[in-house]
Amino acid sequence: MTSLNVNRISTVARNVTGAVAGAIPTVTIKGERANKFITWIGKNISSPENRLILGVTALMSQPFIDLHNRKVDEETRKVSAARTVAKIIAGTLTGVLVRKGCIKAIDAFSMLPSQITATTKWPWLRTLFTPDSAISGVLTDLTHHKNALGTFLSLFVMTITNFAIDAPLTKFLTNKFVDKIKEKDAIKAEEAKLKQTTQQIIAQQKPQEVKEVARG
Amino acid sequence: MANFLKPFVNWVAKNYGDNVGKMLIHTGVIGWILSSAAQVVAIMINDKIPKKQKLYMIPQEIADAGVNIISFYLITQTCKSLGSKLVDSGRWLSGPVRKFLLDNNIQNVGKKGFDVLTQGQLTPEMMTKFKEFRSGMDVLFTTAGSILSCNIVTPIVRNEIAANRQKKFIADLEPTTNDVSNQSIFNQNSYKRRPTMDAFIDGTYSRQRVYPTSSSLKI
Repeated sequence: MTSLNVNRISTVARNVTGAVAGAIPTVTIKGERANKFITWIGKNISSPENRLILGVTALMSQPFIDLHNRKVDEETRKVSAARTVAKIIAGTLTGVLVRKGCIKAIDAFSMLPSQITATTKWPWLRTLFTPDSAISGVLTDLTHHKNALGTFLSLFVMTITNFAIDAPLTKFLTNKFVDKIKEKDAIKAEEAKLKQTTQQIIAQQKPQEVKEVARG
Repeated sequence: MANFLKPFVNWVAKNYGDNVGKMLIHTGVIGWILSSAAQVVAIMINDKIPKKQKLYMIPQEIADAGVNIISFYLITQTCKSLGSKLVDSGRWLSGPVRKFLLDNNIQNVGKKGFDVLTQGQLTPEMMTKFKEFRSGMDVLFTTAGSILSCNIVTPIVRNEIAANRQKKFIADLEPTTNDVSNQSIFNQNSYKRRPTMDAFIDGTYSRQRVYPTSSSLKI
């Protein structure tokens, strides 16, 4: 994507938000609990949590988009929804775990000089990812910095896990789900066949009964 | 090692040290780019796809990536900008900050062009409260934008584009359906089931029957 495109998108976004913001009424969040919750979100929600939220909401929306895709037949709809669910589960699991792991790894090597004591192992490595602004004392809270650096690292790790874990796990889960769907469909088909046979037998028996009653 | 990494570490601290929303959007865009690149590579190195089809599929996959990235960036950035504008102008505020501004008779709060940070004359304590509220709202709006983009708009738009493109794709491939190498991916049933381009690419990963799905392998 060129910088020109990014600038155009940013301008469009600014114009849209300017118009919408002007139309939105003034809101004051008075409740103490609500304010605490918003503060908590700002402090604690980062990329792993964001990925988890996206995964959960994806499970609530994307399979239904597949199930209502009128351009394909019913069987395909079911299987594609199963595949979507498998992909979401595999992608979310890997995404959340890799992000968490990378942030944890960055955290171990982003200490402030004041946190390093005589008992700290490998002290020379502990400030590997600590920015100069934190070493000089300007930046005191490194939480967001660690999250950001860990997320960048995780993106590169995930280019590998995408092939190594996501794709095979997706395939495995899809096959499991598809087998379940086929089992259910087979049972339904069997039941339908049985019902049809029963109805045919009943239909054949009825005229005989009528004849017998007439003779009687 | 440390010297080599330091410029990047300092750049991250400067740009994302106190801006979670911005980090989520930018890493999201990079994630889309990397996952799309992975899909292109997967097609390139797949021996089961004939070269002729690769020449068709690779540009289409790049076009798909463009749609994904632009829609993600446009929607998520718009939501984030909206949230920032509402909070910075004072239209949406927490109770304590609103009370402070009212008590100090600050004019034009919530009006266009007003900026709480520069014109609100906040005390250090109020400044901290305002920044905490701003950060929380930033994450909320960015997450809402990501959900709207990744889980609703993008799958629908992509399915539509893929369905239209698929007609042309099938028409182009029809004369080569007897090719044995094609049959592993596009068997007769697959044609009847009208796979989307997205599904075909997924099929190249898993080498199983082709079904359309609303999501691609997303990082």
